[in-house]
Amino acid sequence: MRNLLLSSFIAIFLTSCTLGHYGRLKKTDNDLPSSPASIFGDNFNSFLFKTNITVYGKDFSGLLVTKQMSPEDYRVIFTTELGMKLFDFEFKDTSFTLHYCVPQFNKPKLLKTIQEDIRILLMNDLKGKSFQKLADPKGSYTIYRKEEGSFSDYYFIETATKQLVKIEHSKKQLKKVIFALSNYQNNFPNNVMIKHYNIKLKIELNLLKK
Amino acid sequence: MKNIFLFLFTLIIGNSFAQAPKGFTAMKDTTAFKSKMEAQSKLTTTMESDFTQEKYLSVMSENIISKGHFCFKKTNMLRWEYLTPYTYMIVINKDKMFIKDNGKVNKYDINSNKMFKSINEMMVATVQGNLLNSKDYKPKFYESDKFYLIELTPVQKATKDFLKNILLYINKNDYAVEKVKMTEPSDDYTSIDFSNRKTNQPIADEKFTVK
Repeated sequence: MRNLLLSSFIAIFLTSCTLGHYGRLKKTDNDLPSSPASIFGDNFNSFLFKTNITVYGKDFSGLLVTKQMSPEDYRVIFTTELGMKLFDFEFKDTSFTLHYCVPQFNKPKLLKTIQEDIRILLMNDLKGKSFQKLADPKGSYTIYRKEEGSFSDYYFIETATKQLVKIEHSKKQLKKVIFALSNYQNNFPNNVMIKHYNIKLKIELNLLKK
Repeated sequence: MKNIFLFLFTLIIGNSFAQAPKGFTAMKDTTAFKSKMEAQSKLTTTMESDFTQEKYLSVMSENIISKGHFCFKKTNMLRWEYLTPYTYMIVINKDKMFIKDNGKVNKYDINSNKMFKSINEMMVATVQGNLLNSKDYKPKFYESDKFYLIELTPVQKATKDFLKNILLYINKNDYAVEKVKMTEPSDDYTSIDFSNRKTNQPIADEKFTVK
């Protein structure tokens, strides 16, 4: 009985964490480009989001601004609603600079995780990376797969709209983080929800201005 | 030779004394100003106003502008509400602080958290202009034909890490704070302009409760 319970638990755990679609994806040769494009485009624009970060039950809310400084260089700044700066990140190609961080955020693991999430969302370091272009059996999505070491990133482009609707960041086929991009207007998602599966961390971005 | 010494002397003296901000000179009578401010603050039982907040970040091409409304009632009741481009509200009621965001309300005990305590002190003092009595800031006093300008420099290291100074622009006619500018060590700043101010008009206590 105990073994049955244990195996049921393991089964539930595995199905809830495993990416179910891996085996069913087939290579495709459709007319989409060979790599996915960043939602932030290449126009040196800035974007302003109302942002909520929930980490282990603690809420941080504020405004997140992204600004493209040069083709591969992005500045990302998070302030409270009252204007106090919480962190200031710079992503240049594959390098990262921490310009500023308040003590409350200056915890290496948390900072590294948020930094990694933003890097994946910015998609500014994908130039020259190789992707596999896949499709699901129903043909609803074109899926770009990028593999680096034990990590795989999946970018889901909806066939009907050609919009990036989901990014999955996984390690050894277990999903670690899902980015859901929704409510598109003028080719930009109004909502981005970043949810972690191995830690209690959720980041919600709601577009205010671009 | 004499001229070179004079020049060097002026240069050294000029640098060692802080310059008054552009358009302002050192305040002539700081004692009179302080007592007037205090008297005005004592006379004020309620206050409400619209505000426009502007966030300047050197790397951004445009400032972030948000607008809202605040209400203040003695003693220690404050409602600070952003209305556009997002809704967000901080309510301070005695020793409690409420934050309403996304329809969700979080309640905090101000005394339980050092940061909330300093937010509370700073916000209440900002709208009342009595931050100049705080031991945590070193004030400098200036004036122009329209404004008194108080430059407050934090004394504590913990505050200095994120705040270079606070400038309070006070109307010479009614001693009301018209503008607050908070500058960070990086020279990025937040400025808040107040408009449509009403003082001593009745404000219901319900304004300072959050459901």
